Amino acid sequence: MPRTATARLLLCATALAVATAGACSAPGSDSSSQESSDGPFKIAVVNAQSGQLSSLGQWEWKGAKLAADEWNAKGGIDGRTIELELFDDQGDPTVGTNIARKLSSEGFVAMIGTAESAVTVAMIPILRQAKIPNITSGQSPAIAEAGSPYAFYNGPTSNTYDESLARYLVDDKGHRKIALISNNGSYGKGERDAFTSALADRGITPVDDQVVTTDQKDFSAALTSIRQKAPDVLFVGAEEVAAGLIVKQARELGITATIAGAAPMGTPVYLETAGVTNAEGTVVSSPYLSNDTDEASRAFAEAYQRAHGEEAEMHGAKAYDGANIVFTALESSNGAGGAELAEAIRGTEYDGLLGDFDFDESGVGIHETSIGVITAGKLTAEPAS
Amino acid sequence: MRLRVGGFAVAAVAAWFLPYGLDLYGIHVIDIAIVFALLAVGLGLAMGVAGQINLAQVAFFGVSSYAVAILTTRAGFGFWTAAVLALLAATLVGVLVGIPALRMQSHYLGIVTLGLALAFTNWVTNSTVTGGADGISGIPVPPLFGIDLSSEYLYYYLELVVFGLALAFAGFVAHTGLGRRMRAMRDDSLAAGAVGAPVPILRMTAFVLASLYGGVAGVLYAGLIRYVAPETFSIANMFLLLAMVIIGGRQSILGCVVGAVALALLREALVDFSVYAQLGFGIVVVLMVVFAPTGLAGIPARLRRLVRRRRTSDHRATLRPFRPEPAGGPDRVGASLEISGISKQFRGLRALDDVSMSVAPGEIRGVVGPNGSGKTTLFNIVTGIYGVSSGSASVDGRVVTGRRPHQLSQLGLARTFQNLRLFGQMTVRDNVLVALDRSSMLAVWRYLLWPVGIWRAERDLRARADDLLERFGLTDFAEAAPTSLPYGIQRRLEIARAMATQPRLLLLDEPAAGLNGQEVGQLGEIVRAIRADGVTVVLIEHNMGLVMSLCDRVTVLASGGVIADGTPAEVAVRPEVIEAYLGDSMNTADIAAEVESEAVR
Repeated sequence: MPRTATARLLLCATALAVATAGACSAPGSDSSSQESSDGPFKIAVVNAQSGQLSSLGQWEWKGAKLAADEWNAKGGIDGRTIELELFDDQGDPTVGTNIARKLSSEGFVAMIGTAESAVTVAMIPILRQAKIPNITSGQSPAIAEAGSPYAFYNGPTSNTYDESLARYLVDDKGHRKIALISNNGSYGKGERDAFTSALADRGITPVDDQVVTTDQKDFSAALTSIRQKAPDVLFVGAEEVAAGLIVKQARELGITATIAGAAPMGTPVYLETAGVTNAEGTVVSSPYLSNDTDEASRAFAEAYQRAHGEEAEMHGAKAYDGANIVFTALESSNGAGGAELAEAIRGTEYDGLLGDFDFDESGVGIHETSIGVITAGKLTAEPAS
Repeated sequence: MRLRVGGFAVAAVAAWFLPYGLDLYGIHVIDIAIVFALLAVGLGLAMGVAGQINLAQVAFFGVSSYAVAILTTRAGFGFWTAAVLALLAATLVGVLVGIPALRMQSHYLGIVTLGLALAFTNWVTNSTVTGGADGISGIPVPPLFGIDLSSEYLYYYLELVVFGLALAFAGFVAHTGLGRRMRAMRDDSLAAGAVGAPVPILRMTAFVLASLYGGVAGVLYAGLIRYVAPETFSIANMFLLLAMVIIGGRQSILGCVVGAVALALLREALVDFSVYAQLGFGIVVVLMVVFAPTGLAGIPARLRRLVRRRRTSDHRATLRPFRPEPAGGPDRVGASLEISGISKQFRGLRALDDVSMSVAPGEIRGVVGPNGSGKTTLFNIVTGIYGVSSGSASVDGRVVTGRRPHQLSQLGLARTFQNLRLFGQMTVRDNVLVALDRSSMLAVWRYLLWPVGIWRAERDLRARADDLLERFGLTDFAEAAPTSLPYGIQRRLEIARAMATQPRLLLLDEPAAGLNGQEVGQLGEIVRAIRADGVTVVLIEHNMGLVMSLCDRVTVLASGGVIADGTPAEVAVRPEVIEAYLGDSMNTADIAAEVESEAVR
């Protein structure tokens, strides 16, 4: 059949063309990521913009965007502008690895994000290979355990949050009957592990340790068990909404213990979900207590409000700090990326919204959190003892 | 066929040189796409070929990935040892997930497998050995004779070779005996059992195959990403996989590959619009299911059919006459059938009440009686579809009650169905081939170790199928879909399919229903020829003319009991028969006259 023959000929010709086009070199030898010495700095923001963690991802983007806009308004870095690009990892580690490869082949110098520890851990080997420093909002110790010199945290790890909390609750206030409730997500698990070990250092075994799932809405079974143990303190390791629901249901069941937890418990979302009366007295360990702590946070909150038309919160502040650190480091490395930029970030001492950044070998910059207590619907700082 | 081989060759060459045109990002995306394509092929085998709804594919994938991760990082195994163990683990889970399929099908099976997949993700997020939500990092780079597989370009070639082999194997399975039996089971599991396909084993095989492909994909994923976390094996990804298979065309292995690669690339291209992309995938899946249920792979065939319908074909296919030449040896004798005291209770209804009858070897026996008298129930018991409440049936002295349909088929029992049960989405030739294939499932090992043997047996089967179609005058329709044929031809095909199992006892359930006068005449001829060929025939029939002329003896059932048994002439004049079966309006003399006139013909 003549038509078949023609088709085959055509296909063979195409194959030959492909073959000859590529036969000269081994695959991939021409794909070194080019670093242009002029033009804008390309910085990636990688965060979930869809799915369960999308609100977190959007806050982060807004914080980083605000920092970039401020720098560009001042004339950029050495006269070169900053170009931020947003990538959606969908909370999926596989998608994260795709994005990491994309960043390396499209010449991005640094990455801000992600807020999901599992996605970040999946990306770390590729980012390390491509020499792209990244500053994550995750707080799981798993990121530090990956041991990459290119991975940094823009906030404290769970260990820091919970060490401060344990110090306040046990050493200062003398509580010893403590119960835990946490969810089995990356964040909840990190909190549970960190707080348990902080308690163990003080010789305390929790009177109850309940684990719930991330999509659970009714916690009465776990909370009933906790009520029977009559703890003085109930530690909650869960994200904003889940924590709010847990506390609301705990109070309804008649649990009168002091509620304690990390950063999510200091947010307006938590306050709204739990209700102001239920949230009263919640002890929060956070590097960023409110938009009203000092001059810097007031200025940030005002700028954020102007730029995005909504109230600032901690995740935006973290990304804002992280972005500022990357930009400062770029300035001090004279625009160099790769290993030099990573070293520059490690050397950057930055007085940020979350505190004084001073990076150690594991990429942790903040080693302290403050303790706040919710009184009359407002988070107020507890004086350090 | 030659074009197809050429196409594969070109695709293989293009795939071999593909990395030269891609940067690191591009090759990474392709590496991931290949993993998904492997998963889709496995899902296509289970869902498209075998018709087993399997929403646990992502769990097979996960079991194997996690097994590699745990064994290499925690137990200190080498990568390839871990990979082999991981495949075993995935296959074991496949068997476990498959067990419910023995008892339930369709959407129930979907719910159960989905539940098992959810259970898996819950387990990995909660267990400490899996690292909980943090997952497991630090999986070693697979060593391979000094080739550095940490380069994603070289890893691509590893994946390409594995994928090529996996694809070839899937195609081989789908287009030979095992795949044909699975497709028959998908189209009609009852009829598949009746022609000798061991349905329970086939269902398990489908899940084992799916899990094997999931396992291979999991090993490749673990070696590529070198990190596992629960999110990778989420239900969202299961639905993405499902979308790949449905959009690509689940009944075609190549369609699954096309769907997987296309969707993986599309998802990457739309990564900045993922909310809309997910919505878009959903809409496309719905549109595909409604307008193109055979997916992308089915579109060329649909277009061809459309064109063919426009063009009036110059030669019309015709049903040729049946050629009554013996296929078996002249010394073949039919089997005897002995039914003794069978009762069947359906909850409150007593469908059969102490029915006994005995059919001599080589006899043509008619079973008549009014609707609801229990004739088909009796057939269903004899062919193993129903169990009995009491009593037993035996063929040539071997008890057949309590055995599975496919075992009875191996014993030489064949049947047709009252409402045609052809394998609707297979060609006429394949319908016959399924029945001709008498190989035991134990021979499945040859798929792995001696494919040439399978290939030879296949060639032999095809020659015999052509002979059989020729004999039944169906040659012109060999490539047609049974459902596109006129009713009379479908009836004949069902008899041909039953005869392909080389039975010694054939049960025909209303073979003349819906046939015109001429076709009824042909049917009579065929049945006589079958008997002459050494097959005992029992038929249920309402066409009294046919019964009277064809049968040696007639058994009359009414309300679940035998009310008469004898030659047609004896039975027709018995008053209780006339009352129960023919009603009062029929005159006895008319019947006698008809019997005589039929006997003359």
